[in-house]
Order: sequence, then C-alpha cells, then structure tokens
Amino acid sequence: MDSFATIVSVIYQFATNGAFLLLSAVGLIVILGMMNIINLAHGVLMMMGAYTASIAWHRNVPFWLCVILAFIVVGIFGAVLERAIVRRFYGRELGALVVTWGISLILSQGALAVFGPFLPAIPIPGGSVAVGQYSFSVYWLSIIALCGVLIAGLWALYNHTTIGLQARAAMQNAAMAKALGVNTDRIYMLTFSLGAGLAGLSGALFAPTVSIAPFMGQQFVAPAFITVVVGGAANVITGAIGSSVLLSLVKTPIGFVFGAFVGTVALLFAALIIIRLMPDGISAVLQRHIDRRNRFA
Amino acid sequence: MSDQSSNGHTSNTDPTPQPGAASDEAKADRRKVLKLMGAAGAGLTAPGFGATYLRGFEYTRSVQAQGNSPVKVGFIEDESGNLSVYGIQKLHAAQLAVKEINEGKTLKGGPDIGAGGLGALGNVAKNPPTISKDGVSLGVVNDGGDKSTEVVFDEDADVFIDSGDKGILGREVSLVSLDGQSNNALWQQLARRLIQQDKVDVLVAGFASAEREAIRPIVDQFKQLYFYTNQYEGGVADANTFCTGPVCEQQVIPVVQYIVEKFGPRGYTLAADYNFGQLTAAWTKAFAPLVGGQIIAEEFVPLSVSEFSQVIARVQQAKPDWVMTLLVGQNQQNYYPQAAAAGLKFPMASTVNMAQGYEHKRFKPPSLANMHNAIQYQLEVPTARNRAFVKRWMAMFPEDQYIGEMAQNTYFTIHLYAKAARLAGTTDQATLKKALELGWSIEAPEGSVFLEPGTHHCAHYIRLAVCDENHDVKFVRDWPSIQAWWLQRLGVNLVRHPEYKQYTPDEDPYFKMFLKKS
Amino acid sequence: MARVPHILKLLSGPEDIGRSWWFWAVFIAACVFMLVYPRWLSEFQATNIAYYLLNVPIALGLGLLWGYSGVLSFGQVAYFGIAGYTYGIVAGNMVGDDFGPIVGSLCGIALCAVVAAIFGYFVFYGRVQNWIVPILTLVLTLLLETFLGQTAGYQWCVGSVQLGGYNGMTGIPGFQLGSHVLMGYDFYYYVLISVLVIYLGLRLLVNSRHGKVLLAIREDPIRTELLGYDIRARQLVAFVLAAVLAGISGLFYVQWGNYITPSQVGLLQASLPVVWVAVGGRESLLAVLMSTVALNWLNYTLSSEGYQYALIITGALLVVVMLFFPSGIVIALARELPKCGLFGRRKGHAA
Repeated sequence: MDSFATIVSVIYQFATNGAFLLLSAVGLIVILGMMNIINLAHGVLMMMGAYTASIAWHRNVPFWLCVILAFIVVGIFGAVLERAIVRRFYGRELGALVVTWGISLILSQGALAVFGPFLPAIPIPGGSVAVGQYSFSVYWLSIIALCGVLIAGLWALYNHTTIGLQARAAMQNAAMAKALGVNTDRIYMLTFSLGAGLAGLSGALFAPTVSIAPFMGQQFVAPAFITVVVGGAANVITGAIGSSVLLSLVKTPIGFVFGAFVGTVALLFAALIIIRLMPDGISAVLQRHIDRRNRFA
Repeated sequence: MSDQSSNGHTSNTDPTPQPGAASDEAKADRRKVLKLMGAAGAGLTAPGFGATYLRGFEYTRSVQAQGNSPVKVGFIEDESGNLSVYGIQKLHAAQLAVKEINEGKTLKGGPDIGAGGLGALGNVAKNPPTISKDGVSLGVVNDGGDKSTEVVFDEDADVFIDSGDKGILGREVSLVSLDGQSNNALWQQLARRLIQQDKVDVLVAGFASAEREAIRPIVDQFKQLYFYTNQYEGGVADANTFCTGPVCEQQVIPVVQYIVEKFGPRGYTLAADYNFGQLTAAWTKAFAPLVGGQIIAEEFVPLSVSEFSQVIARVQQAKPDWVMTLLVGQNQQNYYPQAAAAGLKFPMASTVNMAQGYEHKRFKPPSLANMHNAIQYQLEVPTARNRAFVKRWMAMFPEDQYIGEMAQNTYFTIHLYAKAARLAGTTDQATLKKALELGWSIEAPEGSVFLEPGTHHCAHYIRLAVCDENHDVKFVRDWPSIQAWWLQRLGVNLVRHPEYKQYTPDEDPYFKMFLKKS
Repeated sequence: MARVPHILKLLSGPEDIGRSWWFWAVFIAACVFMLVYPRWLSEFQATNIAYYLLNVPIALGLGLLWGYSGVLSFGQVAYFGIAGYTYGIVAGNMVGDDFGPIVGSLCGIALCAVVAAIFGYFVFYGRVQNWIVPILTLVLTLLLETFLGQTAGYQWCVGSVQLGGYNGMTGIPGFQLGSHVLMGYDFYYYVLISVLVIYLGLRLLVNSRHGKVLLAIREDPIRTELLGYDIRARQLVAFVLAAVLAGISGLFYVQWGNYITPSQVGLLQASLPVVWVAVGGRESLLAVLMSTVALNWLNYTLSSEGYQYALIITGALLVVVMLFFPSGIVIALARELPKCGLFGRRKGHAA
C-alpha cells in the first residue's frame, strides 16, 4: 500500500509540476508563436489577473467568476497595450523585449505605489484527498483538469474556427494571408489579447496559492521563459504540452529525491541542453515529424 | 583616583556630600558607591545634567559646541520593493519614537549597575505576598491550581513617562530616512551619504542580514554608531554595532523545547536556503538533541520557490512529529496555505512567522493552525503597557494593519538612544558607545529589555505564541528574560577587546561536543 | 610613423558620434574638466561619481554586443558577478600581498573570458535563433544567482574567504598600486582613466576592419557568411569581449564597495544595462557612456531624495524612448542638433 501511495504521489507531483509550467507559459507561447515577440510584461499580466481576482473575490464574487473576470479584464488590457505600444515593434523583437520590460517596471512599481505591499489573500478552495500517508489538494487536481480543458479549447480554437484558421495562416505567411484578405492587424490584436488574457487567467488560478503582491509575477517569469524556449514557436499547442511534459519529467524525480533546489537547477540545466540539441524547440521537431508523416499519408 | 568633581561640571545635583580631603580607602570606596548610586538616581531624575561618573568626559564642551542643531537619526529601510511590508512598519516605529522624544516623553529605564536581568525597575507588588512569622508552611505565589487568583505582582502599565527634556538635550530630533529599495548597492550609497555627507549622529538601519553586512564595513570605516534592530542569525561582534533584535538562542531553544515536550522528538526542518535559514537550521539541529528532540531531515528551499507540492510530499514521506518552518519571503510563505490545502496537519514551530509578516492575519485560517513561535514581541502581547503602546501607534498611524517585532525593536531602540545621550550629556558618538556599554535596561512594550555591555546584544522577554485553527493567538508560556548568551560563551567582550566580525556556529566547538550519537 | 595618423583616423571613424575637430575639442575639454573636478568635490561626492562611472564598461560591452553585433544579452551581470566574486576570493586570500589585487583582477577577467567562451560556443556554434539568446543568457544569470544564494553555509569557503550566500562576501580588499590602496579621490581617478582608455579602445575597434565585419553580421548574417567570414567565431569573440568588459565593471564595483551579494546578478540588475543602452542609443558607444552615467545619477538622486517612483520613472523613460526615440535619445539628439546649424556646416557628412 505504501509504494502504491508513493507512486500516486509521484504522478501527482509530475502532474502539478507540468500544470504549473504549462499555465505559467501558455500566455507567452500564444504571443510568441504568432508574432515572435517576447513579452517581458508577462509576469505583470499574471499579477494583474491575480489582483483582479482578489479584488473581485473580496466583493463576494464566486471564485470561478473571478477567474473569468480576470481573463476578460487582462485580455482587454492586452488589447489596449497592443494597440498603443506593442504593434510598433513587429519585426523588431529585441525592441519589443525592451519596451515590454519597461511596461512591467511601470506596472509593478505602480501597483506597489497604488495598492500597497500586498492584497488580502484568497483561501484555497476545496479540501484535500488522502491516499495512504500522502494527501493531495483538490484544488490542484482541478487545476490539472483545467489545463486539459484549456489545451482542448485552444486546439479547437486554432483548428475548428475561422479565426483560428486565419491566425494559423498569418503565422505561416503573413503577407500571403493579407493578400488573401485576412485582416492581420486584427488577428495580431486578438492574439495578443488572448495571450494576455491567458496570463491573467493563470494569475487568477495561482492567486490562492501565492501571496498577492506587486512582484509576484517574477516567480513565474523564469519557468515561463524556459518552457517557451524549450517549446519553440512552430506550433503553440504541441510546444506547450511537449515542453511542460519534458521539463516536468526532469524536475519531478530529481526534486523528489534531492529536494527543491536541485530540482530547480536540474530544470535550468535541462533547458540549456535541450536548446543546444533542438535549437528551434520541441514544437519544431514535432512539427517536422508531423509534416513528414502527412507527406507520406 | 581623581575626583570627578574636578572635571568642571556645570551643575551637579548629586545629593551626596562632596568628598573633602584625602580619606582612608574604605571611606572613599563607600563614598564612591554612594556616589554611583546617586549618579544613577540623578541620571534618572534629572537627565541632561546628572553627574556622569565615567571619567574623562568633556561633555560640557561638546554640549556647548553642539548648540542648537538638531540631532540627526539616520534611517534606511526598504520602503519599496520586496521587503517593504517590513520596512514601512519600521519607518512608522521610528517616526513614532522621534515624535514622542520631541514631545518630551520617554520609556522608563536606566543604566544597569551590575549583572543583567530584569532591569533597574522590578515590578511592584499590588498585593504583597505575606508569609506569617509563625507559620512554617510556605505560601506560594500564583501557583496554577491554587485558590488564589489575584495578581500579586503588578504589571507596570505606566512605563511611558516624561523625560523632562524637549528632544535630546534640548535639541530637536530629526529623522533622516531613506529608501533602500531592497537594492544592496543603493544601501551602500545611502549609508555613505548619511555618514559622510549628512553626518548623522546615529544610524538605525537594516532588515536583512545582507543589508546589514553591506553597510557594516562602511560603518566600521567611519566608526559610526549603528543600531541593527532586527531578529537575525546571531554572531555579530562589532564595536560600533548594537544589535537590539533577538537571536537564535533566545528563540530556537525555547520553541524546540516546548514542542518536543508536547508533540514528540522527531522534527523535520524546512528552511529558506540562505544564511539566516541555514544558520538557524544549524542551531535547531545542534540543540534539539540537547532537549530530547531530533531533527530527522532538513530541506533547504531556494528563495524563489513558491510551489510546494514536492516539498509537501517529502514531508509526508518522512512522517515527523513536528515541522520546524524557517521560511522567509513572499514566495516561501505560500507553503502555509498550500500545506493546509493539501491536508498537512503537523504542528509547526518557527521563529520567524506571525511576528514579522503577520501571516496569521494575511492568510485565511486554518493555514497557520498549530503554529508555535517563541516571540519576543508581536502585536497581540497581552500586557497593559503593550495595549497602551498599540493605542499610541494607532493614533498616529490608523491605517496600519500590524505592528511587528522589528517595528517594536526600532521603537525602543531610538528611545534607548535618547536616554543614553541624556545620561552622557552629549551626542558625540565615541562617548555614546561608552555610555551604552554601561549596560542599559529599558521598559519596552514587550517587557524589560536589557542591553548587555560586552556583547552589544539584548536580553529579551520571550513568550510562546500558539496560533490555533481560527488564527487566534494564545500565549502559553513566558520567559521573562533570556540573555543572548552565545557570544558570551565565545568570549566576546567588546568593552575589553573591540572586534569587527560576525561569528558563525562553525567557530564554536560546543555545538558538536555533547550530541548523542543517534 | 604612419600608424599614428592611422589611429587618429580610426578614432574619428564613422561608427560613433562625433568626428569634427569641434567635437574632439569639446571631448578633450570634458576630460580635462573631469580630471580637475574633484578639487571642488568632497570625497563622498567623488566616490559617488566613481560609482556612476564604474558601470560604464558593462554598458559599453552590451552596446558593442547589441548595437554593433546585433546580439542582445540579458545576462551581462553574470560576468559582473563572476569577476567580483573571483576577485574577492583571490585577493581575499592574498591579503597582505601587494600583488593580491592585481592577481585577483587578472583571475576575474580570465574566468569571465573562459565562461563566456564556453557559453558562447554553445550558443553561437549551435546557431540558436536570435531571440533565444537573451533568454538563455538570462537563464544563466538566474542559475548563477540561485547557486550563489545558497552558499551560506560555512562549508562554502575557498581558502580563507567565505562566499557568504545571500549575506554576501564582505571585506573584499580594494585595489592597490604597490602598497597604496586606492580609495576616495584616488579611486575616482583610477576609474575615470580606465573608462576613458576603454572607451577610446573600443572606438578604435569599431572603426577598424574587425568592427566593420561585426556591423555586417548585424545587418545580414547570411550575406556576411557567404562572403567568407566565419560569423560564429566573430560573434563569439564579441561576446567574450563584452563579458570581459562586464567583468571589469564587476571588479571596479567590489573595489568600490568591498562587498558583493548574489542580488547583483539578479533579475532587476540584469535589466539595468539593457535600459542604459536602450535609452542612450545602442549604436553609439558615446551615447551609451553618456546615458549610463546620466541614468545612474538619476536613479541615485531620485532614490536618495526619497522618491519611491525612481523605478517607475525609469520604466516610463524606457517606454517613451523606445516609442519615440527608438534609436536612443543621445543618438537622436546627435542627429538633430547639427541640422540646427549649431556646429557649423559639414559637407555632406552626418554627425
């Protein structure tokens, strides 16, 4: 019974690590995949989502509604940001990097100045479930399930809607798509808005488990970037999933046996090695594989 | 032995008769003792003009030279950035103390002659326990279970008294406060500015040990009088620095002893992976066996980690009796709600939580249920003097949510500085360091605090606080005075041998000497 | 003999702001002013200015790498930290030896070069995409910070020097010339002269043939490669040079403050050189130099006056500059001012 419980625990840890990486990175990947822009304001967008959720929750809005509200609010903010600032940097990736960093400085310090050092916490919904000597948080189990729903939703969006089709066209060849009548400007704005909204959603989902403070986004920036870099920009969905799975496979056993610090270091090293081996990311490798299979189909 | 009165005091309210011509030694000794007592009394009742019995003070000249310029208290804290949640409390404490000093108020206290302990002022017996001259049965005071429920020794509520002085020695106190922005390079620049350019009379600064260590070399280079008012890992032996916060021996051992008694010997340590966490964990590991406990495993969590499911799984695998949590910083505090959500029910011991970052107010119950902390101060301390202090604080800062231990330390430290300056009759820093090395006791909101001459550290009033499932706080045990004895055991005596370093447990062979082989 | 005019010609090449006699006159006047200025300064103020100046080499290195080679590295501070800690360890163990600081400095620079060479090899010879480099360098920096942060235990000591974890390494000896320790005014001159030499040296470099190839790589790597240049090697060399410059800043820093902590290689610190270079203008070394000094001065002044908004203002400045002066404020000014006829007419040359 003991070893069964341990196996369950390891699977649970693997799933939570993967879910954490996936949620941290999904907003970033959507934007990167479409526009090749590194959004260094990602952490701040997550912070905004958490703040929105906290403020709404303390006005007695039910939690699931707070999360949706966070998605909408940060998504709208993302659209505004894109229109006002980010669109001038298409094609200039490094410039986009720098300007989004500036935005994140303003927003995080501004949040500190306006709201103070932190906001009141949201309690973690749900209780716990025990297997053997281990117990697991129901909330994390539901986050894991939610990741699956999210991925399914994104897949449906990209593969079964017109907008998704247009988006994929713009990703592959923007000039051609434009020539065929796709309003690429609108697609970019919607994509950035979606990416920001997803960041806000993640922030709201993580909100009960963290301190809601102006710099809370920083703790997600490094894992998000690593996941994105390992995933690559070729295909949003395969990149996100493949990267989180691979990195979590590395981190979980090492972290379980050796502790949190070694787990984090192993993650960073793994990222460096994977980049060396697959410079375009996992999604590129998978994409080539899929293309090759389709060619012979 | 030259007569103090030949130094040219301006006025001397010393009530004892002036010694005349040469007298025999015994008489001179007795007179000297009387004079010392008189000086102490005079020092308490007539600050600023009391005779000082420390030789060679040219205090008259320096008082005249200082004239009417304000006394500058230099202050650096993180008012923005990650540590602002603590820095702002300390800033408010400093502002409150400076305001009270300028209004002519002070806390009771005085230089202690002789050994440390409960301070110059003991408690007054409201109902003096009287043992009949006939009886042989020993009456017992305040025995739990006895029928007597009356408080015999009065908690002295009235510790906030007039100082008889406006500001310090008639000069207004001004607080020169700068924001370190949680940036160590900026701390260095700001410290240099306060010391070299603003020429502050005293520097009160530093939250994290890293910040203190960043500015201590600058303090030593310019021989600046420096107070570090935070809880920390212990070991600083620096002739220019006075540490008024609690250290490991005052908090780790009481809490471990209590929790081993209550819950069993097997402990699991979760510590932040940096100096404070590692050193405090080393203390825990070294001392648990001496009080019957045993640390079965330690885990050091990097400061950036905020996702604890793996950590929680490892704790559950080890099945300890209790968990020692030494988690610091915004990210690591998330352990509590996550552990509660995962159903972890182990009793927890800590020396850092509740009293500094008021997690029991910020996180929803029952995240901090069964948390035990040996605290020196937190807002909930149930004494009359603390209630009065909290009231004064909230009158000046009605928006504040909490008064943490570092804030209280800053508060009484600045009052202590004022008292020492009044006794010395000057704000000259070299003189004041000597005046502080008299040994001082001050009636802080936590209780009586005693500043030890040789180690420059303070003996504190320690209480064991327990947080229950509703996040109500109970104080289940108290130790009226625990000294900071570790530096004494290392042989540090800054009065005799000035030093400028920080000791680590590695340099103390006693840490490993009597451990039982487990 | 012909080398001298050749060098002068290189100094006045087109790859940096300022070519006319007028410019050089102003430049020399400014240098003389900086040399004489301490007469009116207190030691504290001189030390402060030295702090602004010591950040210039790392910014120049980044400017070289980003502006002239087209590679953005977010992790220059990693080398800042490596050099600082190495110097602390070596010089700290050689206290009392007059050659200690010099040996320490050389070791610091050498280690930076080695680490940069290894890391750069993986990055450039792996032909990683351009946008990944900033992230990888950032990851390296964060890895270093995490590692250094957990070196608190007493087992983490090299020789007699403790690494100190988050408390930092204290008591790092200052730089010595012979037996004379450079502090205060001396330190100011030491940094000022070093920075000038570095700047002029870099100016020579970017105007030389080597520099032209770097520019070609920035403009179109494939074309340059087709022309027969090994772009990987050249980018690696630029990367190592930038790392060495960052290391020199690190050396100056520990010699200034005698102290270093892991937070010096943290996320916020890592972004500062990028801010300085972006605001000044990455395509000109002089712009980078001026903006570094100006922004450091601004940050210190705002912080020490008690403004919590120092970082907000920095962020806002960054956004405004990137939006409206994308090539940098100083470069934009340099382009506009001559058109007002302030500096006289030159036949057909842009400043």
